Amino acid sequence: MKDKKNLTTEINPEIRDILIEMGAEDIYKCYQCGKCTSVCPWFQVEICDYPVYKFSLETALGAVASSEDKKELEEEIDLIYRCVGCEACLEQCPHGISTPNILRAARRLLVDFGSYPETLKSIVQKTHNVGNPFGEQRENRADWAKGLNVPDFQQGMEYLYFPCCLPAYETRNQKVAQATVGILQKCEVSFGILGVKETCCGEVIRRIGAENIFEEVTKANIKEFKDSDVKKVLVTSPHCFTTFKNEYPEFGADFEVLHITQFLSKLIDEGKIKPKKEFNKKVVYHDPCTLGRKNNIYEEPRNILKNIPGLEFLEVENFNRSLSLCCGAGSGGLWLEWEKDERIVNVRLKQLMDTGADIIAVACPYCLQMFEETLKSMSTDIRVMDVAEILYETI
Amino acid sequence: MKKIGVFVCHCGRNISSTVNINEVVEEIKKYPGVAFCTDYTYMCSDPGQDLVKKSIKEKKLDGIVIAACSPSLHELTFRNTAEKAGLNPYLTEVANIREQCSWVHKDIKEATPKAISIIESIIEKTKLNESLSPVKVKVNPKALVIGGGIAGIQASLDIANSGHKVILVEKSPSIGGHMAQLSETFPTLDCSQCILTPKMVEISQHENISLFVYSELEEISGSVGNFKIKIRKKASYVDNSKCTGCGVCSEKCPVSVDSEFDEGLGKRKAIYSPFPQAVPNKPVIDKENCTYFLKDGKCGVCKIVCTLNAIDFDQKDEIIEEEVGAIVVATGYELYPMENMIEYGAGKYPDVINGLQFERLLSASGPTQGEIHRPSDNKIPKRIAFISCVGSRDPEHHLPYCSKICCMYMVKHALLYKEHIPDGEAIVFSIDIRTSGKDYEEFFTRAKEEGNILYIRGKPARIIKQGDDLVVWCINTLTGKQLRVKCDMIVLSMSMISSSGALELAKALRIHTNDFGFFTEAHPKLRPVESLVPGFYLAGTAQGPKDIPDTVSQASGAAAKVMTLFSSDEISHSPIIASVDEDLCSGCGICIAACPYDAREMDERKKIVAVNEILCEGCGACISACPSGASQQRNLTNIQIDNMISVLLRSNTEQPV
Ligand SMILES: Cc1cc2nc3c(=O)[nH]c(=O)nc-3n(C[C@H](O)[C@H](O)[C@H](O)COP(=O)(O)OP(=O)(O)OC[C@H]3O[C@@H](n4cnc5c(N)ncnc54)[C@H](O)[C@@H]3O)c2cc1C
Ligand code: SF4
Ligand code: SF4
Ligand code: SF4
Ligand code: SF4
Repeated sequence: MKDKKNLTTEINPEIRDILIEMGAEDIYKCYQCGKCTSVCPWFQVEICDYPVYKFSLETALGAVASSEDKKELEEEIDLIYRCVGCEACLEQCPHGISTPNILRAARRLLVDFGSYPETLKSIVQKTHNVGNPFGEQRENRADWAKGLNVPDFQQGMEYLYFPCCLPAYETRNQKVAQATVGILQKCEVSFGILGVKETCCGEVIRRIGAENIFEEVTKANIKEFKDSDVKKVLVTSPHCFTTFKNEYPEFGADFEVLHITQFLSKLIDEGKIKPKKEFNKKVVYHDPCTLGRKNNIYEEPRNILKNIPGLEFLEVENFNRSLSLCCGAGSGGLWLEWEKDERIVNVRLKQLMDTGADIIAVACPYCLQMFEETLKSMSTDIRVMDVAEILYETI
Repeated sequence: MKKIGVFVCHCGRNISSTVNINEVVEEIKKYPGVAFCTDYTYMCSDPGQDLVKKSIKEKKLDGIVIAACSPSLHELTFRNTAEKAGLNPYLTEVANIREQCSWVHKDIKEATPKAISIIESIIEKTKLNESLSPVKVKVNPKALVIGGGIAGIQASLDIANSGHKVILVEKSPSIGGHMAQLSETFPTLDCSQCILTPKMVEISQHENISLFVYSELEEISGSVGNFKIKIRKKASYVDNSKCTGCGVCSEKCPVSVDSEFDEGLGKRKAIYSPFPQAVPNKPVIDKENCTYFLKDGKCGVCKIVCTLNAIDFDQKDEIIEEEVGAIVVATGYELYPMENMIEYGAGKYPDVINGLQFERLLSASGPTQGEIHRPSDNKIPKRIAFISCVGSRDPEHHLPYCSKICCMYMVKHALLYKEHIPDGEAIVFSIDIRTSGKDYEEFFTRAKEEGNILYIRGKPARIIKQGDDLVVWCINTLTGKQLRVKCDMIVLSMSMISSSGALELAKALRIHTNDFGFFTEAHPKLRPVESLVPGFYLAGTAQGPKDIPDTVSQASGAAAKVMTLFSSDEISHSPIIASVDEDLCSGCGICIAACPYDAREMDERKKIVAVNEILCEGCGACISACPSGASQQRNLTNIQIDNMISVLLRSNTEQPV
């Protein structure tokens, strides 16, 4: 029990107004039904109690990110950074309240005060300094494409392929980028890459709350795209997809963006790709939140997989499409450490493995990374592959 | 030039405290065309009106302006006064110097000249006013009632009992509507069919009521007082003059399909009467499922077993033509489709059902003879959950409105469940329980306490099937505790929506609905039982979600309005409506689209667009839309408006006209 003084909440209009200004404008719509809370992935993590429904009301009281007590503030920061931005709550909220946006407003405030998790501070810094959250060297950014004859983007090319940071630097994810260009080359698509000139799309740092640095990165990217005369962009990561498509336009971007699954699904429908080799595996598809819920791309990845001969397609019962469960990697989640029995990824992997699948198909580098990392510590034969990798194997 | 009299009212001190009445009277006396001007403390009082009457006669006035309060208050008073003095009432105008002048100003120096110019502008209008008389139409004192639920039944009986003929059209094979499906009704828990069926029988026996079931309105034309209608009576393939309703045909029919009346929880035959007390109690053949029609004359069992030879496979749809003076719309409601609630597995899990299905399980005449068995395996559900606001109060995905009655039926359901299964557990999940009706909160309190019912505050996010159980995922927002509640069965309190076909009907009738297909009343407070279009009246859930008491009240209200209409042979209508200068009208038809009352119609012979004087409400939309100046508002012509405006604009410079 806290002592009385801590239980009494003073309404703090200044904090509230700042948070509204920073994007928490939905707070007054909340009628405290709690639906968000029981649909949130944390609800499925046995030992976790994540009171999503409280955030609007607490924000309206100005009682978020505002504790004077150090320990209390730490607890608050923990809550504010627990959200993985999967938008399961938004999807179900009767009033369309974006709790992740409300929390992002709180994060912006915390970032302004420098009071946010050290690991996240470091990725913001690294993105700022070297254009990627891992602190890898810029000049190594195109190493994944060595020996693959991937041209640099030039005026007149139809598409820019933009793999983003994980596929550019991380060994497992590099294979996805490699498979993708393999398919594009086979289909004689006119495309190139920015190579060492490529910079992180900035999605994750915006979700962490580092709005100013996000704006810097965004403006630089838009300039780079304009200077290079980029009109259409193909992306592997749903995180680049949503940022380019839904967020860059407010900063003056006017290029078209396609997620690779949209592009490949269309090529299959048009008969330009014909998967020939049998892929005799049971494959369950995991809907990445950012591709599905946020951008309504549910059918294209399924269409690709269902066109592969021999492949037995499985769904996670109750938790597919808009009701899918997050892998836990969004909004900075990939970098935050939780105890083993306090991880969303374990819940999701169990759901996926319970289908009896041999392969978990994903369409997002974050999901791939999250699942791969976690499976390492599990005794199981199930493997994770990107949809593009599976397709590449069959053509 | 007209001789105009002006009467300035003090309205006690309401006007005179900020308007210098003497100054006004002196100024107005000088105004061209004014033959007489005077003032009085209360012009609307008897002495005030006598003053007006006396002056009209003595000064031989042929136009008067009353400078007083808003015309919405006393225009009618003064028009009647003028008429009594022999002046055409439409030569009387009111200048509003109270709401638009004295009440909104403090400074007498500002208010006085403003009052003067307001009066002068109205004088200008009055100068060009014509003598008019109200538009009169004959009324056919026969009513059409569309929809035979409790709303349509009540409206029909009330109108018929006042001695007028009624045609009642119901699209299903029997009247009764949803009320016939209910078990017991809140807040008194009387048996729904027991209180409904006497009224149904009364309909069938009433000499003033012609009942058409299995029928729908096919066509309508005309306007208030004189509608021409065509009713399509669907072929039932049963000759009702021979059929006695013995039911042998249904018994022997080999085709069994889901019963609409039992909400899919029971079966009916291809030849069927929806329920035992149906009115009329004559079966119909559902052609879509009948083997005879599906397989070219195979079967015909019903025809063979019917000893009265009542089955007639050659029967055709019939078109019945009728004429009526008023129409009551009582097409009722439906429930929001369960399939839309994917997070609850509704439509997928057989044991997640809606409120009407639960009513059928509770009903003694229902598929389980009033015992509660869950649909999947007939097990008696030992723990049941009720979820409120399903589909309603969710502007983002479903419906923004509160469906008003589902809290109450849910409270009732939980109680009835406990009465049926005393050792069972009932859990209600809700955001709040809305019980705003007479005796409703008391009913809720009683139900909660007597039934030991657990109320949890929170909207569940998911229903997940685990083995035999359905697990409700929820958070109790009052305690912050997570809940995963295993249940045997779940009843969703689905929102009411307008009945299917309501939008098409509204289009055919040319009356309005809101965004959700509920028919719109003329005024949300003051005219709740009539449509904006004259001659159409609204009853029951067709107008918005409501319970039986409200439905019946509205139905009786609509019936009373119909009786008012029928109380005289003729109706009159304000003549302040649009008129057309036939020489100017180019027949472009822009006014037709502009008119919200469908009062403009093309005269194909003259190639001009005429005004239907009965339908025209004088809103002026067509007049401002008319590009050739052919459409004019009577007594508010463009010239009158121009003159009024120039007076108002000139007033600052103080020049005479
Ligand atoms: C689960 C549940 C429980 C309820 N319990 C209670 C209760 O306990 N107490 C209470 O007071 N209220 C209760 N209600 C509310 C009650 O059902 C309604 O208030 C009442 O039935 C409304 O009657 P109505 O005539 O307006 O509509 P309806 O009963 O829907 O009747 C409309 C009729 O019009 C017909 N129709 C529709 N369109 C056309 C057309 N185009 N042409 C011809 N005919 C047409 C339909 O076939 C139907 O017969 C409950 C409602 C539900 C859903
Ligand atoms: S679902 Fe929406 S309305 Fe309901 S508590 Fe959560 S944020 Fe508030
Ligand atoms: S976005 Fe996802 S993780 Fe964040 S609160 Fe909503 S449901 Fe929970
Ligand atoms: S013809 Fe046969 S199927 Fe059709 S109603 Fe008669 S008995 Fe039933
Ligand atoms: S009546 Fe009750 S259950 Fe129905 S929508 Fe309104 S609040 Fe929800």
